[in-house]
Amino acid sequence: IQSNLSRAIFCKMLYQRFIEVGRVCYIRIGDHTGKICTVVDLVDQKHLLVDGPTSGVPRCVLRLNQVSLTDLKIDIPRGCKSKKVRSELTKEDINAKFLATSLSKKAEGKKSKALLGDFGRFKLRVSKTTLNRK
Amino acid sequence: CKQQHDQAVVSTQSGHYGRDPTEDVKRPLTNRRKVKPTKLRSSIKPGTVLILLAGAHRGKRVIFLKQLPSGLLLVTGPYKINGVPLRRVDQAYVIATSTVVEIPAIANDKLTDAMFKRKAKPTKNEREMFIENTSEEPKISAERIALQKEVDAVVVPAVKKVEMLPSYLRSKFTLTKGQFPHQLKF
Repeated sequence: IQSNLSRAIFCKMLYQRFIEVGRVCYIRIGDHTGKICTVVDLVDQKHLLVDGPTSGVPRCVLRLNQVSLTDLKIDIPRGCKSKKVRSELTKEDINAKFLATSLSKKAEGKKSKALLGDFGRFKLRVSKTTLNRK
Repeated sequence: CKQQHDQAVVSTQSGHYGRDPTEDVKRPLTNRRKVKPTKLRSSIKPGTVLILLAGAHRGKRVIFLKQLPSGLLLVTGPYKINGVPLRRVDQAYVIATSTVVEIPAIANDKLTDAMFKRKAKPTKNEREMFIENTSEEPKISAERIALQKEVDAVVVPAVKKVEMLPSYLRSKFTLTKGQFPHQLKF
């Protein structure tokens, strides 16, 4: 958790995304891989209380390494109820904003690449080599 | 007990008492097994591209034609494309890809197991054993070559219709870094 002063410094310097109440995160490991959630509270140095009422994530505790921070943030009081989280998320239309992020697009790309069959992988390889040769 | 049901031991003597077991005739159990061809995987349909996993043509991608009565799969390269002739292949040594080529049904009487069964070499007697076989028999019979041409005349145009499919069949399947067969979708 960063204080406002250090945040003002860091925002201009190194870190842009902070682990804070209201931060929208992308779950990359675990049961709810691929979904987004919002930080509702911090349990300890390594755990977050997280909720994703609009994305199908139940209120649960996640480890920091299971999660990837996004640029998106909503304004919610610490430990607030799911109802409040849901209303803020829909007000900011976080779902649509997340789909516009590069993280979401990359995840989509990974998914469609995995679905390529053997022929699809061959065609991809050939088109890549022809493109690189030019 | 099972013996009583299958009559493995047939007694020529009637009754239990005074019976001499050494006089009993032993017959083998009756075999009621019906031989059926191996069940064809649902992912394998006529025209499916298969990846051969074993044998001289391992790694090559071929077109599946039909399942023969023996259970083996009949495949063709086509020969002009990747050098795989009309060949029988076991289902277990094959990966079925999701690519299916539309080929018209090939109804050819000659496409049977008997056609592809290996001919037994004539056994040599003591005198002939040290005499070299001088007869020049071609390795592949003219009949086979004709059959190959006949089948491929149907398959090759269908393959050429699909973009990049001939070069795909010409290439071999390999695993690169980070690719694991159980995670790949074929």
